[in-house]
Amino acid sequence: MSQEVYEKLQAMVGEKAGPFEAPNEINRAMIRHWCEAMQDGNPLYTDEEYAKKSKYSGIIAPPQMVQAFCMAPLWPKRERHDPLGKAVQMMIDAGYSGVVATTTSHEYFRPMHLGDQLSFTIKFVSVSPEKTTRLGTGHFLTSEYTYRNQDDEVVCIQPFTVLMFKPQV
Amino acid sequence: MAWKSVCWDDIKEGDELPVQAREITATTIVSTAIASRDFQDVHHDYAAARSKGVKDIFLNILSTGGFVGKYLTDWSGPEGELKKITIRLGATVFPGDTLTSTGKITKKYTEGDQHLVDVDFNLSVAMGPHAWGTATMALPTKG
Repeated sequence: MSQEVYEKLQAMVGEKAGPFEAPNEINRAMIRHWCEAMQDGNPLYTDEEYAKKSKYSGIIAPPQMVQAFCMAPLWPKRERHDPLGKAVQMMIDAGYSGVVATTTSHEYFRPMHLGDQLSFTIKFVSVSPEKTTRLGTGHFLTSEYTYRNQDDEVVCIQPFTVLMFKPQV
Repeated sequence: MAWKSVCWDDIKEGDELPVQAREITATTIVSTAIASRDFQDVHHDYAAARSKGVKDIFLNILSTGGFVGKYLTDWSGPEGELKKITIRLGATVFPGDTLTSTGKITKKYTEGDQHLVDVDFNLSVAMGPHAWGTATMALPTKG
């Protein structure tokens, strides 16, 4: 990659966007739909009686569902400034048109109770020097999502890494 | 229905989780993509996937996370608590694949008042590993 683009991406490290509000509060319908599709029978997610007696005193959402609550609506479109999206476009323009997610991680700090309202911020964390991979030559871009509830408590931190590469012809 | 949870005291490093296998259909791919509110066409539109050089629609990443979480708490029971999951992504999952989940306890320890285990997991299809990594879970104790 040209030194110029790499330097521009490095200058973007630390760039943040958000907070963006989740379209809906944590709710039963989305939880049930998720559990049905995943075939997840954990009673904390759908069994009111069990969940009430648990240490959570009520239904919670599957923790790995956090991002699903925060996805942008299909309609109407929302314009979101997103440093990762911007970095990805810069890479595509520089000829690195291949993109593949390589690592995603969730660290959970608080359960999501029914009625909780999530919001999240995105931070551009790093761009790697050029690497030679099985798929082609490229760079790893890492961003980090931080999800919070209505009390500004951190619910989950999610680093996410994609490889942008020049497809081998 | 009585729910049982795995007890930290009864776990040893090296213990293996029961193997789970799921036949993946187009319905699996579409229903999990929409349940995770991911409307990218490659997860529901065969023609769009083909035009992008992929052989079929394929599982989205949020659903991979869902499958990993389900596999872990199916084993631990509802009192097992997911603290951290790191997932490395490999082979794509297509309709017709069998997704096989395996796992192994690699570490048993305490941190403050929490009783923890690290579990190495691997969700594979015939083409190779789809998702693998390590999860940290807190488990209940007998005390």
